[in-house]
Amino acid sequence: MYSFIAGIFILPVIVSGLLLFLPSKAAKILVIFSAVVLSAISVYLFIQVDQPFYFSVPHYINEIVAGADILLLLYFGFVAIRKKSLLVGVMTVLQLGGLLYLLKILPPAESMQFMVDKLSAAMFMLINIISGIIAIYSLRYIEEEDCSSFRKKYFMSIMFWFIAVMNMIVSSDNLEYFFLFFELTTLASFLFIGFRKDQESVGNAITALWMNQIGGLAILVAIFFIHYNGYGEATFSNLLTHGSATGILLPLAFMSIAALIKGAQMPFSKWLLGAMVAPTPVSALLHSSTMVKIAPFIILRLSPVIKDTPVATVIIALTGFVFVAAAVVSLSQDNLKRILAHSTIGLLALMIMMAAIATPVTIIASLVLILFHGISKCMLFLNAGVLERVFHLKQTSDMDKLGEVGPYTSLAVTIGFMSLLLPPFGAFVGKWLSYLTLGAFLQEQRVFGALVIVFVAIGGAVFSLLYFKVMGTLISRTGNNDHIEFEHTGKIYKTIINLLMVMIVLCMVGLPYLLTHLFSPVAADLVGSHIPIVTEGWNYYIGAMKLPMVPLLVAFFLLPVTIVAAMFVQFKKVDRAKEYMCGEKINYSFSSFYFTTDKAAPYFSTVGILFFIALIAVALI
Amino acid sequence: MKLASFRKKSPWILHYNAGGCNGCDIEILACLAPKYDIERFGMINTGNPKQSDILLVTGPVTKRSRERLVEIYDQMPEPKVVISCGACASTGGVFRGMYNCEGGIDQFIPVDVYVCGCGTRPEQIIDGVVQALGILEKKTKELEESVRLSKKPVQEGRQLNRRNIADEIKPLVS
Amino acid sequence: MNNLLIPVLLIILAPFIGGLVYGFERIVKARMQRRIGPPLLQPFYDFLKLADKRRMIVHSAHAFFGIMHFVSLWFAVGVLLMGGDLILVVFLHLLSSSLMILAGYSTRSIFSHLGANRTAMTLLAYEPVLILIAVSIYLVTGSFDVSSVYKMDQPLLYKLPLAFIALLLILPIKMKKSPFDVAEAHQEVVGGVELEFSGIFFEAVYTAKWLDYVFCYTLVYMFAGSNVLLGIGLMVFTFLYLNALDNSSARVNYRQMLRFSLGVACSLAFINLLIHSIF
Ligand code: SF4
Repeated sequence: MYSFIAGIFILPVIVSGLLLFLPSKAAKILVIFSAVVLSAISVYLFIQVDQPFYFSVPHYINEIVAGADILLLLYFGFVAIRKKSLLVGVMTVLQLGGLLYLLKILPPAESMQFMVDKLSAAMFMLINIISGIIAIYSLRYIEEEDCSSFRKKYFMSIMFWFIAVMNMIVSSDNLEYFFLFFELTTLASFLFIGFRKDQESVGNAITALWMNQIGGLAILVAIFFIHYNGYGEATFSNLLTHGSATGILLPLAFMSIAALIKGAQMPFSKWLLGAMVAPTPVSALLHSSTMVKIAPFIILRLSPVIKDTPVATVIIALTGFVFVAAAVVSLSQDNLKRILAHSTIGLLALMIMMAAIATPVTIIASLVLILFHGISKCMLFLNAGVLERVFHLKQTSDMDKLGEVGPYTSLAVTIGFMSLLLPPFGAFVGKWLSYLTLGAFLQEQRVFGALVIVFVAIGGAVFSLLYFKVMGTLISRTGNNDHIEFEHTGKIYKTIINLLMVMIVLCMVGLPYLLTHLFSPVAADLVGSHIPIVTEGWNYYIGAMKLPMVPLLVAFFLLPVTIVAAMFVQFKKVDRAKEYMCGEKINYSFSSFYFTTDKAAPYFSTVGILFFIALIAVALI
Repeated sequence: MKLASFRKKSPWILHYNAGGCNGCDIEILACLAPKYDIERFGMINTGNPKQSDILLVTGPVTKRSRERLVEIYDQMPEPKVVISCGACASTGGVFRGMYNCEGGIDQFIPVDVYVCGCGTRPEQIIDGVVQALGILEKKTKELEESVRLSKKPVQEGRQLNRRNIADEIKPLVS
Repeated sequence: MNNLLIPVLLIILAPFIGGLVYGFERIVKARMQRRIGPPLLQPFYDFLKLADKRRMIVHSAHAFFGIMHFVSLWFAVGVLLMGGDLILVVFLHLLSSSLMILAGYSTRSIFSHLGANRTAMTLLAYEPVLILIAVSIYLVTGSFDVSSVYKMDQPLLYKLPLAFIALLLILPIKMKKSPFDVAEAHQEVVGGVELEFSGIFFEAVYTAKWLDYVFCYTLVYMFAGSNVLLGIGLMVFTFLYLNALDNSSARVNYRQMLRFSLGVACSLAFINLLIHSIF
């Protein structure tokens, strides 16, 4: 097992190095090969890992880590000077100071630095499979990018670098290591966002950099408090054993701040929105499998101690608010990628909320959302890339002819949106579980629970309006020719989108299996007690929650099958008549509702900042 | 019982004004009002050609409304009947011979019932509709041809297209 | 066996019952306007007539969505009548509405698009309220299952009066009755999404409307719990209330509708939730 874990760490690093100078043919083969191997290893690891598996690395690596930290921060400092960014500079100085101080006061690490448990293994699967798919997709995408051939190789190289760092971050136990990897993901996203090198990209990359650096700083502060309170070493497993110790709230609050920033929650949502300027596979990568998923991961890791603390209360309130706010702001957007980004922020809020409530069922809900949201968002973003490259469309309002010129892509996007919204898709099940558990939460939390549930209900409805708005422009067509022919978008594009659609369907059909074999073991591992999942007749019981399976099965035939079948059904011997337009013969162009809700965004940010202050305040009290 | 007998029990009306003076239209609306209450025969004023059985046309067909009239007629699924309501719809009435009017709807679409009167009375309209119902019951689902239109749905590839039937409409040579 | 028989019968007969309710409603509405109104079986005459028309569609996908809307709505009604999970019922209903909205969007018809836009708006207006009601019911009964409501010894109405009022306020939106009939608005958008359906394909949409009656009145009946008499009383009351409102009010635009439902109905349901969760 040790060798496999080492493999999943080192292989992407090696691939990343090789990609820099391999010729493109060989690089292609290497990327596909390593994506497959990494996915296979991650699945194997998930099957193998039963107990949390601790292992340490040789001592000199500690020194390397410390050195790498300092080098990294020096690089950030260099960026700050070169781009003349004050914020980055200030953050770097603070981080560097904090780091050096910590290095001085902390005793040398004794315990194991890495821990792989069920949660890490599940994250491995998400990271490696989805990112592998994205990597293969970007082979084609980056070919058409307007840049030098070295930069193309460099792009692929960072991608694998990112995968490696993500693999390490989800399995690191020691917080110093965690800090390094955290900063490395920040670096990777900084390089990615600034990839196109124009002014906007660079500006947004800088924003992403300093915002995420705040997260890094928060981790340093958390480490400091762990040391200061005398809990011993700064590791996750150590933190978990001090659940009722005094002063535990402070490190928890700071770790949560790091998580919330990575998860682009409200005042810090700007970096994720700014990331849109990067090539589309980057957005897919950031949104689906890497980067933002660190947020629910941290909260899930800490869920046993965070549960029922004031910190959790503030997090729940914040995320409930963000869920609505992201939905409302997204109504004013026209750019497809921005719409998707807002929906990511909203759903992340839901995931974090579920992780923070931390009952067995909510943890399952959170995991379900993480996985299924990953797949759906990945598909949606990759489709946005196809729209951009093949059809040259970015704004949803321009897409009203897509139903005719690109029925296949329009179908894929429709299914993607549906999968975020409606039964029987996985993401819906996650949402449904959330509603069910919020009911139980309400019984404990009273007024607060009621507020949260109102937020979630309204946010959910606003999101459904948003999705309909987008889908509406995509699918319209005339009846001039009823027989649909799918367009050719390119071999790689089509294979990847097909693969993802199959994955969505498989996840939906295999949901009962996934519940018992994937989600429940992970959740049981986190909660520390077995979660009974029983089938009784046609019902599924998760703990006390009942999931009737028959309606979901029927819903499967109603929705996905209907949408796909609608493309192929042909009614014979039926006249095709014109659309009714009061007898006029003019061709209209269509658009949808647009709301000027973006004016509210600054207020939302202010409220978000208040929440962050509250988060620290409750921890101090 | 044959399905055709139910046509009589639920005739849905589409009302189209092809340029009349609005006198007849007011009377048609009066039919719906409590005094005459044609809904007791199951009639509804749908305002939508795709779901209606009876086309009630008023007005002398101005040149602007010509194509719209045929387009709307074409969008009604058969069996359907057309009632020309008022003098100007039937013959051109007071507008006959004017430069902007065509003079009667029967030059463009087949008319089944003519209701007379310049300003028809609601009783007359109801009477006309009742007569039209008799005709409606006898009609078949096959396509009826108009006087000026001889175009039928065409088989295009795998589909039966009636989208372009109204395209043929040209102005009457005067 | 016996307690399964009634729901199953109800589900099978649901379109028929809905049709009767619709027919009766047309009479009552006419009487309120001092008209005589159509015969009771008028909806079925319409139904049979529509089956006899020449078939005509815009394109196949559009017609297919319409049919599936009917099927999925029937299924949602089925789950509701069988006493299934209320949240799931709400979402299944959302699914069926979404198919209708997709149908509206799938054509290049201007009124269809407008109607679909507005239908999506009505979803936003009533969905949160329905979910809040479902959660309040959960608070009272300890389960999301509708069947648990019927097992209670006290009608739900006594415990959740405000939720019932909230339901009454959103029912006109859901059933597309004036003053909240923007989605259908015959005089403005000629029926909205259902505009492009004709003949036998319109039938699916037409009967789906009857199913919606069954759906809504079942929701109302739910508030009476096991008390059958009270349930019938509530349904009759709601019926009269809806028709009186429909006859006596003018249409508001969608902004007013949203403001009203999210402002008044949603907060009523919320206050109800609060009161119930505090005491
Ligand atoms: S028939 Fe007379 S009253 Fe009727 S529309 Fe024509 S001009 Fe007006």
